[in-house]
Amino acid sequence: MTHPKTPHVVDARYMEPPGPFVATMEMLDTLKEGEKMLLLLFREPHPLYKVLRQNGHDYETELMPDGTFEILISR
Amino acid sequence: MQALLSFENAPPFAAPLRFFLTAPLFAVLAGLLLAWSGPQLMASRWMPGALAATHLVTVGFMLQVMLGALIQILPVVAGANLRRPLLVARIVHVGLSVGTLMLAAGFLAGTPWLLSTAALLLGSTLLYFLAVCAQALLGVPSTSPTIRGLKLALVGLAAVVGLGIVMALALAYGWPVPLSALADLHAGWGLGGWAGVLLVAMAYVVVPMFQLTPGYPARPSWWFPVAMLTLLLLWSAAVLANLAWLIRVSQALAAIAGIAFCVLTLRLQAKRRRARADATYRYWQLGLSASVLALLMLLVSSAWPAASEQNGWTIGFGILIVAGGFLPFITGMLYKISAFLSWLHLQNFGQAKIPAPAMNKILSDNDTHRQMLAYVAALALLLGAVILPDWLARPAGLAFAAANGWLFWNLANAVRRYRLAQADMAEKLAAL
Repeated sequence: MTHPKTPHVVDARYMEPPGPFVATMEMLDTLKEGEKMLLLLFREPHPLYKVLRQNGHDYETELMPDGTFEILISR
Repeated sequence: MQALLSFENAPPFAAPLRFFLTAPLFAVLAGLLLAWSGPQLMASRWMPGALAATHLVTVGFMLQVMLGALIQILPVVAGANLRRPLLVARIVHVGLSVGTLMLAAGFLAGTPWLLSTAALLLGSTLLYFLAVCAQALLGVPSTSPTIRGLKLALVGLAAVVGLGIVMALALAYGWPVPLSALADLHAGWGLGGWAGVLLVAMAYVVVPMFQLTPGYPARPSWWFPVAMLTLLLLWSAAVLANLAWLIRVSQALAAIAGIAFCVLTLRLQAKRRRARADATYRYWQLGLSASVLALLMLLVSSAWPAASEQNGWTIGFGILIVAGGFLPFITGMLYKISAFLSWLHLQNFGQAKIPAPAMNKILSDNDTHRQMLAYVAALALLLGAVILPDWLARPAGLAFAAANGWLFWNLANAVRRYRLAQADMAEKLAAL
């Protein structure tokens, strides 16, 4: 799946926990410096945010009309 | 390794568990009280037994689970960390449990000092809980409808507790207050402003997450908590100004908002991607259907007030919304959260070297499904007892006590299996 914001997308909207967390961490490991990835979820992943901050990643979250949170994460 | 990092935010399992294990026992007490008192308990909502049973269920069961769950999930759904969660849990659990028992005893015995002491104990416990939550949420921006809902639900909790204290003291010392209008408002803030808004805010997260449904659309999700609080403020102003028509309009609009949420959730569930229907899903279906019926009753009585003077109307509404609506929502989530937390704590305990047992090894679908059938039978008897109290009140009380005793048994068994699994994993880790 690709997205206008980035080609690196984890669509975790129908995954059970901890699937979204694990899939995001795995994709982050594959990104090159300066690349971004997008996580799609129906909730805000606060525990993931904390880990992202601890590991020095930036992220921006946008809530879409259908209830999807688009979380754009920098490598 | 990375996955373990998310565990840092989780409070110790003992923090929410004490609430989850105690709550069903209060519902057992409520059932036994009905079995012991018999049909006279259902004669009016003002009967001492009815007041005691109502609060054993709403404070002893509902509030108990909700506060325990909040201590657990505030970091997860709002990024808000409670300081020393185990200490907070111990203080709140003792205050709430002792306060509920004293309140029920105060209603039954009609003893002023018991009622006023219970009100002050519950009031101070909940004030402490609100202060702890406010401290944790201070500076947390409302970046999602869930966080906004959580904050507004806590405002609802403050309102229902404030009204409850005033009413308990008024009952104890015979203060001249309009008890009937205040009781309706107290129930409105409790069920709509606190429990309803909290449930909705949690549903935004847990329904898509555990039942694999589409998400709740953003716009109505942002507005529902605000609309509910605004309508309750309107209702409160109408009580102060003694405007009966405005009370009815705000009740009708609150009922419509509640029905809209239930219908939306039923539609989302119809699109779920999880093929198997587990107890949580079935409990939610029951809760949503019963809530729609109860809220239709509220809509009818606000348009046609004489309806609420029909025999058994108010008691029937109360049973339908509390035992038919909220208890199934809460029990359904309780099963899912208990199994998930057991798995999460075991997963962490295994240090990524020993895998945790699957969730259904901790709490099996068979056990939860059979308990749910017992609960449905108890609910049917309770509703039947509204029409035939002489025949069905005592059997309904016994059935309600048995179904909730079974819930306790299932949860206690899950904890036993959790401890066994932990001991087994400790042995395997030591052998590595």
